[in-house]
Amino acid sequence: MIEVSGLRKTYGDFAAVVGSEFEIDRGEIFGVVGPNGAGKTTTLKMLAGLIEPTSGTATVAGYDAGDPEMRHQLGFLPEESPLYEDMTARSYLRFFADLYDVPREVASERIESTLDRLDLEYRDRRLGDVSKGMKRKVAIARSLVNDPDVLIYDEPASGLDPLTTNSVLEFTEELREDDKTVIFSAHNLYHVESVCDRVVIMNEGRIIARGSVADIREQYGETTYHVYSDTALDATDPTADGRHRAVVETMAKVEAIQAAATDAGGSVTDIRTDEPSLESIFLELTGQQMPSPRTATDTEPTGEPTTEHEVEDAP
Amino acid sequence: MTRVDRLRTRLTTAGRRLRRIARIARWEFGQSTSSYNRRTLAVIAVLVVVVASVGTSAVALGVASPSPNTDIYRVGVADNSPYNAVIDDHASLTARPPDRTALATGEIDLLIGGVRQPAAGPGPRSPTLLVEPADGEKGDAALTAFRSAVQSYNDRAMALEPNRTAAYPVVVELQYIPQSTLGPAAPTNAGNLTGDDAAADNADDSDGTDTDANDTDTNGTTSDADGGTADGGGDNTTGTDRTEGDAPPVADGGGGSLLDRALFGGGTSGSPAEIQPPFPFGSLLLAFLFLVPMNFVIQSYGSSVLNERISRRGELLLVAPVERLDIVAGKTLPYAAIAVAVTAVIAAAVGGGLLSVAAVVPIALTFLAATFLGAMFARSFKELTFVTITITVFLTSYVFIPSIFTNVTPIALISPLTLVVMELQGEAVSLGSYLFSTGPFYTSTAVLFLLGTGVYREEDMFSQKPVPLKFLDALDARLSGVRSVGVLTALFLPFVFIAELLAIAVLFVLPIEVSIPLLLVVIAAVEEVAKSIHIFAGFESDRFDRSVPTALLLGAASGVGFFVAEKFTAVAQLVGLPDLQLGQAALQPAGIGIAPSTTLLLLAGPLVLHTVTAGVSALGARTRLRWYLVSLVAATAIHAAYNLGVVTLYG
Repeated sequence: MIEVSGLRKTYGDFAAVVGSEFEIDRGEIFGVVGPNGAGKTTTLKMLAGLIEPTSGTATVAGYDAGDPEMRHQLGFLPEESPLYEDMTARSYLRFFADLYDVPREVASERIESTLDRLDLEYRDRRLGDVSKGMKRKVAIARSLVNDPDVLIYDEPASGLDPLTTNSVLEFTEELREDDKTVIFSAHNLYHVESVCDRVVIMNEGRIIARGSVADIREQYGETTYHVYSDTALDATDPTADGRHRAVVETMAKVEAIQAAATDAGGSVTDIRTDEPSLESIFLELTGQQMPSPRTATDTEPTGEPTTEHEVEDAP
Repeated sequence: MTRVDRLRTRLTTAGRRLRRIARIARWEFGQSTSSYNRRTLAVIAVLVVVVASVGTSAVALGVASPSPNTDIYRVGVADNSPYNAVIDDHASLTARPPDRTALATGEIDLLIGGVRQPAAGPGPRSPTLLVEPADGEKGDAALTAFRSAVQSYNDRAMALEPNRTAAYPVVVELQYIPQSTLGPAAPTNAGNLTGDDAAADNADDSDGTDTDANDTDTNGTTSDADGGTADGGGDNTTGTDRTEGDAPPVADGGGGSLLDRALFGGGTSGSPAEIQPPFPFGSLLLAFLFLVPMNFVIQSYGSSVLNERISRRGELLLVAPVERLDIVAGKTLPYAAIAVAVTAVIAAAVGGGLLSVAAVVPIALTFLAATFLGAMFARSFKELTFVTITITVFLTSYVFIPSIFTNVTPIALISPLTLVVMELQGEAVSLGSYLFSTGPFYTSTAVLFLLGTGVYREEDMFSQKPVPLKFLDALDARLSGVRSVGVLTALFLPFVFIAELLAIAVLFVLPIEVSIPLLLVVIAAVEEVAKSIHIFAGFESDRFDRSVPTALLLGAASGVGFFVAEKFTAVAQLVGLPDLQLGQAALQPAGIGIAPSTTLLLLAGPLVLHTVTAGVSALGARTRLRWYLVSLVAATAIHAAYNLGVVTLYG
């Protein structure tokens, strides 16, 4: 549904996005994460046709991203989405439906149904008088007013309370069931982890990691095993509850501890696996403390040197 | 796809675009009106009504006239005298009972006596009016004013006469003779001219009605107080005796509308005494009436555009399937409609018609276009305020200053307000005059919107660059290759034309020895900036490589673009601008307004000049701002020297 190849955007000497490459399938929720200034928003805006790439191509729903016809297939929710506060939710959505040439009856039905799904009250109240969460829901409803195939959501839950955030995230997951393709950008990596099928991590304009959350965890995360023994061993430290614990990184070491415990006349009583969060991986990756990936291949399409390790999608 | 299918597709697309524009316009109108609460709207409405009422009342009644001439001459005249109507019509005259004692004591300045019938034998064969002024300068001035009033009255009466042949039995063939052929001994004192000399003098004076009248003038107004003999009314005003004759006034001749009298002092004879004080007032009042409401409109419009940028709300429109141009058109349409409606109402209130509306609408459009571009550049409402004030001051000056000279010189036609004045005076306006006055406004409007739409995109709308950098971005947005440089240069021509016309109008009051050299330098500077500023923008954005060959190539393209577009300034000939010395100085270097054979000789000159000087500027522009400015000064110096040479040789 979306194909990005060698996408690059520069402003004078500053490279905002350097050679991004990825593909997104229909019905997929795709996360774009990275610190501030990583190039996430620029990438999303190039996909939305708002920013012209310096080089490279982006195809959305079969159209070039710069093609005005593409916009009929796109719903875009920018990070800042101020509304026209003198309008009501209904009149606001109706206005955009008109711009998308949605027939009046279809628009009415679609607007009401979307507002129902988003559990939006006060549909005829001035938007200036409703809460921030309500405004965000109206903005999301606006992104759906043309029933697009592709949705680009930049920080959809930014600044919302936990209840509204959950509501927005649940709604985003429901879009997958509607066969919508969603590109989802967020600072809060728990949100990305909970919603997205695949992610790319960007830093300084480059994609430095990509794949499903599990893939990335597998590639970059150091899964550790907490091995509890009833006998003190060289490799273990005492715990507060009187047991002895060893923290090791490989199953071979776990097996070695098991053998050592048996030899010492004891046994291993518990083994716990500690998987890294996407956030911890992200911090390590963007904090310039690169864990050793198991496979590393330079995917920089322009052949420019990079200090980051970039990897192909995990098999 | 067949041709019919293609046509159908195009029509469908056009229909959709129009629907979207209309939808955005409707939405914009709702937005702009809802942004004011009812109390504010009520206050604005009251203000508009008060301004309109005071303005139109002042125009209609003349009560606001600051003219020091109002009722200053007291004329003793019998109640049953037909000259009462003449005196009533003239602002500086007021009627008093005819009393010789009062004349002697200075209570009246002029006494209108009876009419002496012609005696048999030699002497005057028409009735002679007995007029006696008081002793002293005021009496003489009152007599002059009375003569002028009678002549104006008669002229108006003749103008209202349906039988043109009866009104103007004498047809004067005007033949314009180039100054150079008159020789050094050609008389310049209009007061001594007669016959053909007077015709030549009229060509110089170019009162607007003569210059486009070609060879036949049946309008008695071509005779002015300088003693020309082209008066069809049997003017005897050259006499110094104190009993003079004139065509008896028509009792119910009308003499023009009340508004006409208030605005233009009740006379159209063209005498300096009548022209000078009332015309600035009339023009000022028109400028006030037409331009003040526009300020309200552009404030609202500019705020709306800037709001879209500052709050980033415009981003959602940009991502909708709507062309940028359509968004801008939709947002502008309500304000343009309001401006047209207000203009029409004011035009109707002052007695104008369609011509007045057609003359002022391009000004309104330029107001909107300049405001749009300013709002696209401004980073805050504070900056927007500065921008709108600048626009208001510049455009008001541009339309006001030239219109001061209405009926005096073709310079007046630089301002479209002059067309309004002419319509109110009942004068015909040729298509050439209309194009000359409004053309720069229409084309400037188009170019300003073009530049503004170029930066109506995400990357420029929401950035916080200083205004000069935004301006460079706007220029750069319209550049693509070498050819685009030439095209953009050509598009700048309306601004060059406006700047040069404004310079002519402003410098017109200075002595020729000062104004012409100054004008030549100003023109050179304006043209050199127009030819190079976008090249500088292109280099600054790294659109072009900074090599010398590229700079020279771009300079050549710009020079050629300017050379071609410059030929359109020939429209100035339609109103006789090259007949003026300042007009010659401004236009001759471009080959405008001189003999065709000479023009051919000069054809290569401007082309070489523009190419060379644009190349010089481009060489500086490829480095940095400081060197660009240095090269610009050098190019201006070369250009000014060339202009001076041409004017010296052919002027």
